[in-house]
Amino acid sequence: MDIIVCIKRVPETAEADLVIDASKKAIDTDGLVFSINEWDNYAVEAAIQLKESVGGTITVISVGPEENNEVLRRALAMGADEALRLTDPAFEGSDAYAMAKILAAAVKDIPHDLILTGVQADDDGFGAVGVALAQMLGLPYAALVTDIQLDGETLTVHRELEGGLEEVDTLKLPALLTIQTGINEPRYVSIMGIRRVARKEIGVKGAGDLGLSEEAVGAKGSLSRIEELFFPPVGEGAEIIEGTMDEKTEALVKILKERGGIA
Amino acid sequence: MEELQQPLPERLDLFTCIQCGKCTGGCPVSIKSPLNIRRVIRETVVREDLHGFFSRLEIWDCTTCSTCAIRCPRGLKPVDAIIGLREMMVEEGRIEKTIIDALDGAYKYGNPWGRAKNKRAEWAQDLDIQNALEMDPGQILYFVCCAASYDPRVQVVAKTLVTVLKAAGVSFGILGNKEVCCGSEIRRMGEVGLFEMLMEENMKNFGKIEPATIVTTSPHCMNALKNEYEGLGSEVLHYSQFVRRLMDEGKLAFETEVPMKVTYHDPCYLGKQNGVFDEPREILTSIPGIEFIEFGRCRENSLCCEGGGGRMWMEGTNQGKRLSEVRVEDALEMGVEAIITACPFCLLTLEDAVKTTGNEEKIKIIDLMELAVMGLGKTLETEG
Ligand SMILES: Cc1cc2nc3c(=O)[nH]c(=O)nc-3n(C[C@H](O)[C@H](O)[C@H](O)COP(=O)(O)OP(=O)(O)OC[C@H]3O[C@@H](n4cnc5c(N)ncnc54)[C@H](O)[C@@H]3O)c2cc1C
Ligand code: SF4
Ligand code: SF4
Repeated sequence: MDIIVCIKRVPETAEADLVIDASKKAIDTDGLVFSINEWDNYAVEAAIQLKESVGGTITVISVGPEENNEVLRRALAMGADEALRLTDPAFEGSDAYAMAKILAAAVKDIPHDLILTGVQADDDGFGAVGVALAQMLGLPYAALVTDIQLDGETLTVHRELEGGLEEVDTLKLPALLTIQTGINEPRYVSIMGIRRVARKEIGVKGAGDLGLSEEAVGAKGSLSRIEELFFPPVGEGAEIIEGTMDEKTEALVKILKERGGIA
Repeated sequence: MEELQQPLPERLDLFTCIQCGKCTGGCPVSIKSPLNIRRVIRETVVREDLHGFFSRLEIWDCTTCSTCAIRCPRGLKPVDAIIGLREMMVEEGRIEKTIIDALDGAYKYGNPWGRAKNKRAEWAQDLDIQNALEMDPGQILYFVCCAASYDPRVQVVAKTLVTVLKAAGVSFGILGNKEVCCGSEIRRMGEVGLFEMLMEENMKNFGKIEPATIVTTSPHCMNALKNEYEGLGSEVLHYSQFVRRLMDEGKLAFETEVPMKVTYHDPCYLGKQNGVFDEPREILTSIPGIEFIEFGRCRENSLCCEGGGGRMWMEGTNQGKRLSEVRVEDALEMGVEAIITACPFCLLTLEDAVKTTGNEEKIKIIDLMELAVMGLGKTLETEG
């Protein structure tokens, strides 16, 4: 079975103090640590497990600058066979819709039985690229997949729905799945493993190679655009308690008692 | 797999093992874990395929205390077979999530807790410490350690050490946010490549300032820098060795009475692995008022606290009583008011054991530098 996995390189923001940059449309990524989008890591692992059980090939694709080779190499070290990076100044400013067009143009030239994406990306959180891509390719799809069983040409998948419900679907290959975190336990990728694939070639394609016009992609080819980013306004009600540890404890206990938090 | 291609038995000379069992006999976890190091050595030698080990979680029970290596009459290092097996598991990617998180944290943020890089030196903000990268060559570098940088309890140790160094008039600097994990624990969790990466990063900065002496908070950092950083020209000392030297040079004297009955817990990486037994004892017995008694199991026979070898990130299979709890109970029986130690991991695991055994009112765990600060008549900082 030939599988394509779309992977994104995103900044890690859990521990970082985020700063909005001068354009007010993006965050300042200086000093941030980048890595593979968490969902995509699970998607790569899912692909490898399928390959381990039925054979085939895995191609990983990432749209972005040279730094994205980092996540592609990591996926190669994990067990992918080929890596392709799509890059072009015209891609700048693409939303989920334009991103799906770029990916659709690329996967058309690569034989595939199954396409995997993450449910969403950690930075933009659109949650739309996967299903848009399936629509453009005319493929059956399932989103938020938490379990995959393959029987010949038929996939049986579990989908996570709101309120903790689970839906079981069957799809005929070729198909597209967007993978939810927790579906598996992604294996560790050692530094030596990454070094071992350091010289493996990573294919590069631009808008021209993909037959995409400049109008079709980037900000021009998008359906949505970011007007402004801002932090949620600070609300009232937060009270910072000052003093020594004893004073702070005393003040806190007093407040908790007053408001009925403790007896 | 060039680097790991040579099979373990050849690489570690395990064919010469005579199966005397001295390693298992001294192994602190063997009484409560399926881990039997003698058996691991034998299996490693006779099995053609070591993949069977990969699902055996007890391989992660080893604390890398190195008792087995001290005891082996053939001069083998049984513990290295454990690390070798972990290396193979890491290469296959078949390791527990908590270990993956620690390795990922060290890779991305330079510390196994995955805390922000730019917060590494926050503990030192108000202490007016020199940026080591602006120092001339031949000076003293204080290598802080991830635990001392980020853990509020161990930060106190770093601060007290700074107080002691300043009291002795020592001029020194720290690398601040440029310091990364020494890699000691990373290597022991089997991630050699990442260890090398971290080593290269630190070596790059050491190279810029060529310190005459590097002083460490942690015996684990000391061991890595001294014995595993290839080509490092600096002298590497644990703080206990350095402070002992300051006493010899007449730069430090403890004159404030500290009336307390204490014992001393030997950190494995300081004592067993580097032979530093006397300096910490000499420091604490030079403080007036201290009544010092030894643990029954002390020095080479000291009982491991179970904090090393990646165990800070992996509880292990052993469900029995924690060795740190045994240690605390032994100390209570001896009637001491405090256990003094000199390692961040020992400090954390022993203090945990005081809490889990419900003995907070009866005994304290104090770092040697906290005691030194008391002996200098300075106040002890208790909160981070
Ligand atoms: C490398 C090696 C590995 C081995 N591994 C195993 C194993 O895993 N399992 C196993 O069952 N066997 C093992 N054996 C065999 C076992 O150790 C021997 O069968 C046993 O030790 C034989 O006794 P010995 O003559 O060596 O006695 P020694 O080793 O000399 O002494 C054994 C004990 O006898 C007593 N003793 C000896 N001399 C005196 C004395 N003069 N006065 C008072 N008391 C004395 C002492 O209590 C002493 O501790 C091993 C042997 C070797 C050499
Ligand atoms: S290093 Fe310590 S815990 Fe590990 S096998 Fe040896 S004696 Fe046991
Ligand atoms: S102590 Fe040394 S010789 Fe004895 S069983 Fe252990 S590894 Fe083998």
